[in-house]
Amino acid sequence: MSDQRQRQVDAIRRHIGEVENDLVDELVAGRIDRREFLRRGSVLGLSLSSLGVLAGCAAPNVTRVSPPQTKPPKAGGTIRTGIVAPAAALDPIMISDEGGLAVLGQSAQYLVWSDKNLTLRPVLAESWTHDHTGRVWTFKIRRGVSFSDGTPMTAEDVAATFNRLSDPKVGSNALSNFDGVLSKGNTKAIDPYTAQFTLDAPNGNFPYLVSSDNYNSVVLPKNYDGGWDKTFLGTGPWKLESFTPNQGVSYGRNPRYWGQPTVAERSEVTFYAEEQAQTLGILGNQVDVVAHYSVSGGRALITNPDVRTTQFRSSSHRQIHMRTDKEPFADKRVRQAMALLLDRRALVNGLLATKSDYGNDSPFAPVFQSTNQSVRQRQLNVAMAKQLLEAAGKGAGFSTQLLTLTHFELPDLAQVVQNDVSVAGINLKLSILDPGSYYGSSKFGTSPWLDSTMGITDYGHRGVPNLLLTAPLSSKGPWNAAHFRNPQYDQLVAHYVAALDLGAQRAAAGKIQELLLDETPVMFPYFYYFLTGARLNVSGVETTAMGHVDLSRAGFA
Amino acid sequence: MTRFIAKRLGLGLITLWLLSVLVFFGTQVLPGDVARRILGPFASPSAVTALNKQLGTDKSVFVQYLNWITGLFHGDLGTSVATRTSVSSIVFPALWHSAKLAILAFIIVVPLGILGGVLAALYEGRFRDRLISVGGLSATTVPEFVWSVVFILVFALWLGILPSTATAPPGSGFLTQIEYLVLPALCLVFVLFGYIARMARAGTIESLEADYTRTAVIKGLPYRTVVRRHVLRNSLLPTIAVVATQAGYLIGGLVAIELVFNYQGIGQVLYRAAIQKDFPVLQSAVLIVGVVYLVATLLADLAYSLLNPRIRFESSS
Amino acid sequence: MSSFGEPIGSSVTAADSPAVAEPTVGPGPDEAKVIRREHLALLLRSKTFIAGALILGFWIVCAIFGNLIAPDDPLRTNPVAALQAPSSAHLFGTDTLGRDVLSRVLVGARDILIVAPLATLLATAMGTLLGLVTGYFRGFVDDSLGRLIDAILAVPVVIVGLLSMVALGPSTVTVIFVIAVVFTPVIARTVRAAVLSEVQYEYVAAARLRNERAPYILFGEILPNVMGPVLVEFTVRLGYAIFTIATLSFLGFGIQPPAPDWGLQIYQHYGLISGGYWWPVLFPALAIASLVIGVNLLSDGISQAFER
Repeated sequence: MSDQRQRQVDAIRRHIGEVENDLVDELVAGRIDRREFLRRGSVLGLSLSSLGVLAGCAAPNVTRVSPPQTKPPKAGGTIRTGIVAPAAALDPIMISDEGGLAVLGQSAQYLVWSDKNLTLRPVLAESWTHDHTGRVWTFKIRRGVSFSDGTPMTAEDVAATFNRLSDPKVGSNALSNFDGVLSKGNTKAIDPYTAQFTLDAPNGNFPYLVSSDNYNSVVLPKNYDGGWDKTFLGTGPWKLESFTPNQGVSYGRNPRYWGQPTVAERSEVTFYAEEQAQTLGILGNQVDVVAHYSVSGGRALITNPDVRTTQFRSSSHRQIHMRTDKEPFADKRVRQAMALLLDRRALVNGLLATKSDYGNDSPFAPVFQSTNQSVRQRQLNVAMAKQLLEAAGKGAGFSTQLLTLTHFELPDLAQVVQNDVSVAGINLKLSILDPGSYYGSSKFGTSPWLDSTMGITDYGHRGVPNLLLTAPLSSKGPWNAAHFRNPQYDQLVAHYVAALDLGAQRAAAGKIQELLLDETPVMFPYFYYFLTGARLNVSGVETTAMGHVDLSRAGFA
Repeated sequence: MTRFIAKRLGLGLITLWLLSVLVFFGTQVLPGDVARRILGPFASPSAVTALNKQLGTDKSVFVQYLNWITGLFHGDLGTSVATRTSVSSIVFPALWHSAKLAILAFIIVVPLGILGGVLAALYEGRFRDRLISVGGLSATTVPEFVWSVVFILVFALWLGILPSTATAPPGSGFLTQIEYLVLPALCLVFVLFGYIARMARAGTIESLEADYTRTAVIKGLPYRTVVRRHVLRNSLLPTIAVVATQAGYLIGGLVAIELVFNYQGIGQVLYRAAIQKDFPVLQSAVLIVGVVYLVATLLADLAYSLLNPRIRFESSS
Repeated sequence: MSSFGEPIGSSVTAADSPAVAEPTVGPGPDEAKVIRREHLALLLRSKTFIAGALILGFWIVCAIFGNLIAPDDPLRTNPVAALQAPSSAHLFGTDTLGRDVLSRVLVGARDILIVAPLATLLATAMGTLLGLVTGYFRGFVDDSLGRLIDAILAVPVVIVGLLSMVALGPSTVTVIFVIAVVFTPVIARTVRAAVLSEVQYEYVAAARLRNERAPYILFGEILPNVMGPVLVEFTVRLGYAIFTIATLSFLGFGIQPPAPDWGLQIYQHYGLISGGYWWPVLFPALAIASLVIGVNLLSDGISQAFER
């Protein structure tokens, strides 16, 4: 590195905090690569320009990942996109499904955007910092932004938005993310363009919680009072033209947008209730883009020459839970045996057509930066499984029910699991319910999901593992279908959540991963990729594993 | 005649009321909480309780039924629980869409079926008859959803001459809309053809063997004229009666076709409402399909009872 | 045929105008036997009946001996070998979970050939009972039950299917229940019409004069004489039942995985046709079609023989 460069780096390093400096050290030592550094640095609030300079410190052997060179698309035209139909009314506060959030993100925006690499990009926030405890986070809000109805946006709207979302009386879907993290009233506008969050406890991953990953957190005016589905109010680049419930939305350019105008002139978003119809839609040229498709519903698109598929890692997965508090899974050896009987290779290569990572029976997906990579991957081992069963007194096998829901490839997964474990004399009786019946009231005692002895549940993507570590696995977790109660686990998770630097996070993760491999209350067979399909003449579509689809830079060649 | 109609109408209304009771209380049997279904399994319990209160789903079943029935009389079908829009705005456009599809299918299949049936009857026992009868029969036994997929594969994907969905882009002209409806209509045609042809064939054979036909031929009328004037007229009526009965099936029963073609007809509305446990939409949609079915049955009965010997006497001249 | 429509006969002839005939003397016991033997002979000579019986016979053999004839285990999954085109190893190719389609089609006959006849039998029994009662007693019983029947008939099968599946849980028993609920009213109508014309005959009046009790008249006198139409109804409904079960499975409300049910196989694979994977759909579809055609031919043969 040149002298001048080195001086610039030193200057920056003097101003940034201890945690941030640790991160640079990791980069220099080659323990993380450039991409992870950029990602981690953005979370901590380092500005883009600083990051750019500091990234020059990367150890020489670390490979750079450069994006493929494609011609920029021409302006104009109408982009037609197919998305999964929103499951319920379009209310930004209550939305809890992928279709809903995709629509939300067209005309409304977040403080921060979490992209497909889980790198954070400032949007309505310009920059952010945290205090040394990690409890107080301060965000600088962008100036010159107005909502689609003309009212200007200030930090007061931001504060109102987050106080609304963290208010238990409002009952937003975002509460599951803010529980124990941010309470109502703790978001303040200290001046018109600065918002400050005082958290309940230190949280190293907080910026993700005000990003597009926390999809309910679109910034809305402080006097917002409902009726979003009539106006599609927001600060985004697209403005509502017309909305037909159950059918689709069409947008035009937002003339008041603060940023670059959209490449295409118009955007038509079509809702598909069935994935097969969506697949046919893009093949039959009814839509140009399919925001998200799965292997089970869109296998035809993977090999089709007219469609270009973009894929990236996500943390979407399936959880196969086993009740740790009753027979036959009370003995952890039986649970380990089940996990050893799973042929994960067949699942990844066959069921998911290689479009997936292996799961190692913990929420730590390979896509998370804090995942400890040194923990060994569990493999198929029928002989050991049989030994464990024998030791637990179940050498002759046993019979129990496997419950799941009709969703994507879950019924298929259930059939494969049923088959895999049958070699050890284990007989699983399948019961496949519709989603409403499977989840029931989502309360213990009146929910087949939470009461079943063994079940398979679908979990969508999250940017950080925090929620996945607590809700389904901690002693008081509301989604703890395995009824797993392990104080040591709870403690380790608390350490992880509070850790601010990557090293500490990884260390805590490693311990958690090992504990879960030992106890195996839940099997995580895979984390599948996020697949987007676009016709060859379309480029510039950006999707995220959450299900957001950014069409502002999309256009025709 | 008028007494007959009045009586049938009266009975029909009673049936309709029974249907409303059946449907309303039938759907109450479904487990699962309405608000929970809307907000999803991972939403907070307090949000669920708040929404339930807002929707009025915490009141007693009888009260809810009464509210619903009184609403119906005022033309208010209620509000969809899933989309928070009025049920009428969902159900009536869907009904119209299904009707469009049904009408297109009828326009194709009725003349085709009658023609096929009459031809088969005229060549009774010979190859042409066998072809039409057995071919028609085989076509009807293939489930509609199989036809849907096969047609999409052949016409939309391999040949690329027709669209793979039935929903034309908004603002399309009349002809474009027809273009989008051709494939699903074709599925219906295949399913109904054998049926109508069989009825027409039976009716034609019967009237061919009737006395008045022989009389006409003896009197020296050319065979063609006999067929046209007497035979066709009499084979038409039973066919019309069949067609009227099929209307009920068409409107409500083509869920599979509408699903595969992503078409917002009443069948798909029913299916979705049932899956989402959107009771207001489900109840109103079933009731409407019931009304269509009952009206169609009434018309069919009427048409059939007009087929009394009176008409036979009239046509011999 | 369609799973949701009804042939003109059932809804219309049941209208309130039974044939007005003079009371005639019905067939005596010996004459009845001769007639039955004639029917049988006609049956065996009818080409349609033979064709239908052959097709049905083939599938019955598959249902009974399926596991022995099938080349592979129809339930063994092998995801890595998914969706392989037909070849010498797998004559009909493999499905999304790598299972052999030929084996699944052969063994799939068992589920449908157990459920469909069972459901139809149940519906026929209940429908016959209902038809007997409404046809004989008429009056208020007839009118009110008739309205109830109409109401049930107006509900689309899909809805009954979905509601039952959700309320009772998805299982084969639920499917049987749905079929029974949907077909009983239709069968009741036909039987009612038959009973209405039987009641004209002298033997019924004679039985009444003898002070025989109603149940005896219904089951001892009238029932044997309407067995003909009942049998025809049963075979016609059987065809509809197979079709309806396939459609229910296609919508996801029918027989549950991993059963090799034909409708279920189509449900699981129809979206893949657009990717060129036609074999997991075509062969079960052909199976359904052939079975329904076979049963139809059979019932045609039977109704022709009985109408002489």
